[in-house]
Amino acid sequence: MVMESQGLARVREIYHDRSHRVKQLKAAGEKVIGYFCVYPVLEMLTALNLVPYRVFGDMREPITKADSCLPTVVCPFIRSALDLGLKGKYDFLDGVVMAHVCEVGEKTAHIWNLYLNPPYFHFIDTPHTVHKAAQKQHKELLKDFEKTLELFTGKELSPGRLREAIEAHNQQRALVRELYNLRKPDPPLISGTETLQVMVALMSLPVEEGNKLLRQVINEVKGRKDGLQKKTRLLIWGSIIDDVALIEMIEGLGANLVMDDTCVGSRFYFPDVELTDDPLDGLAYRYLVELKCPRTFREAVFGETKKDYMADLDSRFSYLKEYAREWNVNGVILQSVRYCDIHGYEVPQVKDYLDSIGLPSIYLEHDYSEAALAPLRTRVQAFLEVIS
Amino acid sequence: MTNEKKRTINRLKTMYPLRALLDEMYKGNIEASKAGKPTAWCMVTFWEGDVILKAMDVESVYPENYGAVCAAFGAAPAYLDRSDADGFPTHMCGYARNCLGYTARMMDLGEIPPGAPMGGMPKPILLLSSGSLCDAHYKWFQALGRYLDAPVWTMELPLPGVKESRIEGAYEHNIGFMVAELREFVTFLERLLSKKMDWDKLDELIDDMIEMNRVWYEINELRKARPCPMHSRDFWSSMSGSLYPSGDLKVSVDLYRKMYDEVKYRVDNNIGALPIEEKYRLLFLELPPWHSLGFFNQLAERGWNFVVESWSYHPPQPIDLTKVSDPLERIARFTYQWLTGRFPDAFNAGEWGGYSAYPYLEYAQDYQCDGALLHPLVTCRTATNHLMLVQDRLMKKLKIPSLVVEGDIVDLKLFDPVDALRKAETFEETMNHYKKVRRQEGLEW
Ligand code: SF4
Ligand code: SF4
Repeated sequence: MVMESQGLARVREIYHDRSHRVKQLKAAGEKVIGYFCVYPVLEMLTALNLVPYRVFGDMREPITKADSCLPTVVCPFIRSALDLGLKGKYDFLDGVVMAHVCEVGEKTAHIWNLYLNPPYFHFIDTPHTVHKAAQKQHKELLKDFEKTLELFTGKELSPGRLREAIEAHNQQRALVRELYNLRKPDPPLISGTETLQVMVALMSLPVEEGNKLLRQVINEVKGRKDGLQKKTRLLIWGSIIDDVALIEMIEGLGANLVMDDTCVGSRFYFPDVELTDDPLDGLAYRYLVELKCPRTFREAVFGETKKDYMADLDSRFSYLKEYAREWNVNGVILQSVRYCDIHGYEVPQVKDYLDSIGLPSIYLEHDYSEAALAPLRTRVQAFLEVIS
Repeated sequence: MTNEKKRTINRLKTMYPLRALLDEMYKGNIEASKAGKPTAWCMVTFWEGDVILKAMDVESVYPENYGAVCAAFGAAPAYLDRSDADGFPTHMCGYARNCLGYTARMMDLGEIPPGAPMGGMPKPILLLSSGSLCDAHYKWFQALGRYLDAPVWTMELPLPGVKESRIEGAYEHNIGFMVAELREFVTFLERLLSKKMDWDKLDELIDDMIEMNRVWYEINELRKARPCPMHSRDFWSSMSGSLYPSGDLKVSVDLYRKMYDEVKYRVDNNIGALPIEEKYRLLFLELPPWHSLGFFNQLAERGWNFVVESWSYHPPQPIDLTKVSDPLERIARFTYQWLTGRFPDAFNAGEWGGYSAYPYLEYAQDYQCDGALLHPLVTCRTATNHLMLVQDRLMKKLKIPSLVVEGDIVDLKLFDPVDALRKAETFEETMNHYKKVRRQEGLEW
């Protein structure tokens, strides 16, 4: 009998063959729904026994098909994901949910629907602001989502099931935070590379299965005796990182990546959903207001008549100060894929904030390909020399 | 006679006063600001914000448009350099970077930078950004917080998918959302300006705005005639009256009415926009190469008439809003119609690029186009990211070929008119070929 691998070994297996497990589940009759970015409400899928599966790109694979429907001057991550779709690599999905994360994400949603024509497709037009009216609108949008899911599954989404799903996903979030706590000691008990692999694995499994795996990983990591060495401690901020190449490069240069603010990491997992009387209220709030992606417009005080820049920065980025303090960070890597406007406009502002709290930072731009990382090595090296 | 002087396009006489509106807007802004009138910098909000500001006596300036002005006057490079030096990535919108650099300069100097084209943009008391279409439409103004203490208000505009817009109740909650946001905006303005909204004035302004756009819509409908009486160049010269509604709207309504009469006269008398035979009818997407518009004259000499262009600069298909008494709801329904008016047809056609690609399929049929000229812009994602999709849909569904000529909004050297003309010559054979294919496939033209 073949023993199923456990903990980090299992994580690595999944990381290297992401779809293997969901394909097994599909063969056993389950339905798998792909989702992009952090805005589709996963609890609603889980509550209807649909398996959420995050759609990523592949920075190691050249883009050959997406050119026919997306030009080269848009986000290379989205282009890569669409390219994989057009090459049939997401054919196993029974459906796809996308949200209005950014403009190119919104356009790509409709392109995906048109060219790949999945059995189920839904687009959530996530509002841009967090005003009260936007929160109400977001709840209405989730009700629309609910209707199409019910139609697709032929099942009713009961508040009871939704609550259970919220609890299971909150459980996962709590476990991820626990895992991140293991990055706080110096040296951390788990590397940035391993952490990212865990995150990717979680986004490739049903929630309960992910929770089981996380518990194994946490136990394993807690029991480590001779793990990492003390090195410069870094936080990484920015657009999506779904491949370990960049993290490996940075850690290979003599740093420990101990914290992140990216969407395959803390940005996705840290905020919980509050269990409200109507579960949709808690979900609508968490996914619009609590998720801290720069795609959402926020201001220090709603309807302020004068802008205080430092107060504005503080209201948008003070969580980074908390991260830096709790994870004892020496410097920050700001990174973004080229052509990402959402992160691009943010860069000088995050930098201003980090300067104001005395944290050194460097900005790296790349085009989401493994080859493009090489020239960044020297810059990271120089940065590490300066801060250590 | 030099080439420039040769009349290659019959320009509309009624276009000139409409074109002058833009110059007057800049002049008016500076004067108004000197006289102590509040100024707002605005993104194009597709009519959501403009009339509200007007009703509150706030002058609107459009930095996106000012980007084009700076590029045309050669002032952009210095502002772009400043934006780069301040750490804004170079791949972002050229107009945004121009504005960021301009603002940084202005705040350093404490006044409008000397030599700023058209008198420059006066310091704003408000930045009105928008969630419509483009990410820069709100991220850019948020980033201006580095330099300005003006508050930013982000106007919401739902962008549903075609199918999602048909879910029961979706129309109502989308409109309800817009109305609620507009109401908040009015409350906010009242606080910012310490004055009350004049609702009667707003009501009248909205009616004028709707009427202006109705006439503008009807003008463009007339362009379906063969030969087409009005070239895209006249469209581009006249569109700012609708898109950037400034000055007295009643005057603009009147100017568009006069234009309607002139275009109608041409249709009735079989007068085309080209003095020669109209050989090819073209669709243009999206922003024109402002600095090389003479290129269209060269094409006109070859019998190319540009009969319709970028959907998003066109007004909404008219709907009856006379029974909607709440002025804010009238605005919401008007703007929402602009965005989703074609969705029912897109749904029936199974086209999910409801506003990004589908309008061009309709245009191409209604205006009987032989080809499309696509103008991808390196630093304007919004004008570019759907072009491949449009190219594909036009060919798949209607056998209409596209010619792709690259350019940029601030790096004017990227557009090469000589090379473009060479490509255009070859493209004629392609258009001829597909004309035959369309006939074989039973398409009308
Ligand atoms: S990386 Fe940026 S452009 Fe790409 S999908 Fe994410 S937010 Fe959009
Ligand atoms: S990217 Fe294009 S649409 Fe967006 S603000 Fe810039 S010029 Fe305008």
